[in-house]
Amino acid sequence: MFNHIYIEKQVAEHPRTQAVCARFPKATRVECDRYGEVFNPNAQDFRLQKRRPSLILAHKHHGRVLKTPDGYGLGGHRNYYFSHLLNCLYDCRYCFLQGMYRSAHYVLYVNYEDFGADIDARLVEAGNEVCWFFSGYDCDSLAMEPVSAFVEHFLPFFSQRPLAHIELRTKSTQIRSLLKRTPIPNAVIAFSFTPEEIYRALEHKVPTLERRLQAMLQLQQAGWRLGLRFDPLIYQPGYQAHYRRLFQQLFSQLNSEQLHSVSLGPFRLPRDFFRNIVQLYPDEPLFAGSFSDTRGMISYPQGLEQEMTAFCSRELLQHIPESLLFPCTLAT
Amino acid sequence: MINLVVALPAEARPLIECYRLTGKTILGGFRIYRHADISLIISGPGKVASAAATALLAGGIPPGKHAAWLNIGIAGHASCATGQCLLAHRITDRATGHSWYPPQLLDLATTTAHLITVDVPENSYHQEAAYDMEASGFYPVASRFSSTELVQCFKVVSDNREQSADTLTAASCTRLVTAGLDDIDRMVRALMALAHDYNAWHAPHAELEQLVSQWHFTVSQRHQLTELARRWKVLLPHQPLWLDGLEKKTRAAAVLQCLQQHLDALTPGPAEESAEHRV
Repeated sequence: MFNHIYIEKQVAEHPRTQAVCARFPKATRVECDRYGEVFNPNAQDFRLQKRRPSLILAHKHHGRVLKTPDGYGLGGHRNYYFSHLLNCLYDCRYCFLQGMYRSAHYVLYVNYEDFGADIDARLVEAGNEVCWFFSGYDCDSLAMEPVSAFVEHFLPFFSQRPLAHIELRTKSTQIRSLLKRTPIPNAVIAFSFTPEEIYRALEHKVPTLERRLQAMLQLQQAGWRLGLRFDPLIYQPGYQAHYRRLFQQLFSQLNSEQLHSVSLGPFRLPRDFFRNIVQLYPDEPLFAGSFSDTRGMISYPQGLEQEMTAFCSRELLQHIPESLLFPCTLAT
Repeated sequence: MINLVVALPAEARPLIECYRLTGKTILGGFRIYRHADISLIISGPGKVASAAATALLAGGIPPGKHAAWLNIGIAGHASCATGQCLLAHRITDRATGHSWYPPQLLDLATTTAHLITVDVPENSYHQEAAYDMEASGFYPVASRFSSTELVQCFKVVSDNREQSADTLTAASCTRLVTAGLDDIDRMVRALMALAHDYNAWHAPHAELEQLVSQWHFTVSQRHQLTELARRWKVLLPHQPLWLDGLEKKTRAAAVLQCLQQHLDALTPGPAEESAEHRV
């Protein structure tokens, strides 16, 4: 999987580093002082690197647990995100990570214990209030599980902190580590979907819709709380029929009474990210359409965005009660 | 398109023969050899010479094009056998301590190694690494002109703790590079393919310049036109970049407006959306 693993000097002897390296005995190990030397240089091309990303093992010093943007959440008042991993195994053309990072290498922060300490600090601040922690913001929460052992570490952690709720957001079918554990009530495994037509055009290397649905069914049967995420909503001519078919396919097999939440959000990118992505993929039809720029946020023209959100909300409410639906209302 | 930067004539000779390069140009004291999409410059030894030669060669790249770059030469190594081919996964300038990490995207069998650039020949090989005298001059300069994935350093081990560099001759340098030609050629072809893809993605619409020559576009308008031409290329790949009646427009702004309206009409969005808010 990896030909080269870059290792920060500081974490060279870390047990998690040793475990990851043991998994890839043939990979060449390259020592570096700070991961930014490899990850941050200017003249890198995300698109080229996506052909063969390397793994970087690093220590996360600051900003480990951050507040989510306003409007991002599942009804809770205290919402945080944390990223043990930067970048994603998959290659979705609409993903903001392409515009955010110069490098497509995966950065795995191995100091999980420090993330845990910061989560605890947030819980202390919150007193008796529930806090939500979203883990799939800068990566897919489960896709790299065999390498990262993230779930392996953090589920026992969250199981002992009932006021700390975690969302694992994924397009992966890496559910083995979940299936071998007893479900905990404060974890939501949220699967992202777009219609088949969008999946084929834009979600490269992502498991098929059917495989993801099978993974969800296995988890639901095991008693895990599940979420569905339709974020971002992507326009295609005939999107109504595509999304309607997707919803029917999912809700005809999933037990909607056992769902924790369903959320949807329009396609939006900060202007700089959008520009970066267009520079990387000037030939991508997704970015040849017309978009609006409202105070630095690029989105579909307002009328279309509202129409799509309203349509999908209406359709979803035919399958689930309103209390489960969380439209993402990021401020612009 | 690939640019090869080589320190010594003895290292260059096998490459010149292999790629049938001819040396008609001498610029700034550097001889440049070319054939088709391959250029080679002989820099002379040392990182400053290598940086200068690289910059000189970069001056010949057509605007908007991105070349692949490969520094080829011999290097010492603490333990690797002579003749071993190495690709640098890390380049360190010993004088400054600065390091660079060329991204390793190519699926080649060549071993990769840490390459330390020194100012004087290294005889003690303190670290388990390769030692050369050019890479830290070449790499940061070439990376200013191309994305780092397209810039690599390839070395053939010429000396080690067992076999001193003192025994090296021009003939032995040539023999070492000749022995590494298969690996070098695979590297050259793979890098050229990468550069080809990169340039293809970023090629502007072929008819863009035609429009630019017909109206006066400000710098800002030129950017807008380039962006509209990009969208045109994706949405209307088989249609010329032209609209009926465009020839009657006297101002560049009107041309831009026509093109934008035409493209927006092909893509989603309610008609009442304010045009100035469009991207």
